[in-house]
Amino acid sequence: MRIVEPQLETAAAPIKGVVVRRRWQRHLLTFLMVFGPGLIVMEADNDAGAVSTYMQAGGQYGLHLLWILIVLLPICYFVQEMVARLGIATGKGHAAMIYERFGKWWGHFSLFDLLLVNFLTLITEFAAISLAFIAMGVNPWISVPVSALGLTLMVVTGSYLRWERIVIALCLMDLTWFVLAYIVHPDWAAVAYFTLVPTMPAGGITSSLVFLVIAIVGTTIAPWQLFFQQSCVAEKRLRFADLKWARLDTLIGSVFTVAVAGAMMLVGNYGYQHRIAFEDPAQLALALGPLAGHFVRNGVLLLMVNAAVLGTTAISLASAWAYGEVKGWEHSLHKKLWEAPGFYATYIACVGAAAAIVLIPHVPLQLVIVSVQVFAGLILPSAIIFLQLLLNDRELLGERWVNRPWNNVINWTIVAVLFALSLLLAAQVMLPNLFN
Amino acid sequence: MATMQNVLNTEYFRVIHPLDDAPEEKCSSEGLGHIAMTPAVRISLTVLRGYLILMTLMLGYHVLDLAGALHQLR
Repeated sequence: MRIVEPQLETAAAPIKGVVVRRRWQRHLLTFLMVFGPGLIVMEADNDAGAVSTYMQAGGQYGLHLLWILIVLLPICYFVQEMVARLGIATGKGHAAMIYERFGKWWGHFSLFDLLLVNFLTLITEFAAISLAFIAMGVNPWISVPVSALGLTLMVVTGSYLRWERIVIALCLMDLTWFVLAYIVHPDWAAVAYFTLVPTMPAGGITSSLVFLVIAIVGTTIAPWQLFFQQSCVAEKRLRFADLKWARLDTLIGSVFTVAVAGAMMLVGNYGYQHRIAFEDPAQLALALGPLAGHFVRNGVLLLMVNAAVLGTTAISLASAWAYGEVKGWEHSLHKKLWEAPGFYATYIACVGAAAAIVLIPHVPLQLVIVSVQVFAGLILPSAIIFLQLLLNDRELLGERWVNRPWNNVINWTIVAVLFALSLLLAAQVMLPNLFN
Repeated sequence: MATMQNVLNTEYFRVIHPLDDAPEEKCSSEGLGHIAMTPAVRISLTVLRGYLILMTLMLGYHVLDLAGALHQLR
């Protein structure tokens, strides 16, 4: 941490920063300056796929799966806290650290798998944008290219902070989910009960219930998040002393995301109460219109677009940062377009190609969704193992930054659970008859 | 985030944005080479390899199944 001497302040070299008189003001201001990566990584994880999964969970099982979100809250936090700590300690992204400490083979494997699963996920994001706008009467040949252009313009301004402020504003728009959940009048006593008490739906454990539970876990902890937050922390140049604020940022992000996911389930539950069958949130939104009003209908559709936009910018950036780190290119939002051409080209190529594929008639979206689940099952356990090993790398991090024994007990448990669930999900997708 | 005192001995603080602050010396892997192969690292990577092989076999089975090759064998 730099100690600023007041007498050094001259007209030629002005000292930046804000002077405050009270300790609490200093803490609040420092937190606000550090705030961002934790909220963004968590809320961007509530992407189009997550909206679909949580609303299906509410639509098929009512309030019965709410408790899973409470279980997932500490898992989200502990995983992302490790990412933030590693990012602050090394000032580098996750892909670069895997490449440097585990060699080219594991580096290339992680990078290739990340780029592939991210790209497939981007296709699903643009598919959601297309579906939501079709439901609002907008032709996909207009909505998809305009969205892709907007997503490109968001990042090419040469300012990380500008991008961060736009994305935080989009994250805060997700507060509208709470308004929608309030409007559909759930039984709040039942909501509290099913949130705190694990219960089983009436049909007991079925194949579709297991699949949905694993999908909820998979959508809440996605592989790109590990790469994204570490690169984002490095991009923001967070300092050692910022760690406690980065942890608070991550905790707030985790709580907010889980709460928003719960609100999505409550809206899905409204469909369950009215026996509405739906395959995607756009269908549910259209069916909700006559029952809950136009605000709910349009709200769900617009929030679906917002979720897809948030997911797209974060996932594309995770790819561009990771690729730039491994290639040794300039990879920073602080750079102008012509100063980091490879980095911006990767971002634009990801966004542009995914948007173009969605516009192809009869594109096999189901195959894309299945592929996302399979390749996410490959990369999540490997990325999280590397994260855990790096956080125990005393040679690299020294005693100050490595995991404490209690960290390791929690994190190895999380790793084992995620390994088992990823294997189960992949097995269920690839060998569907296995569980019948 | 420096703490300072003025002539009246009143404490005040200058809060500097991370992007405007001087760079810190971070933990660097330069010159360290690859991670040390401790038992924990070796076991973790072996489990990971086994997991990836299993997933690849399942993927291969699924592709053959979709292509109808397994149906012909049955």
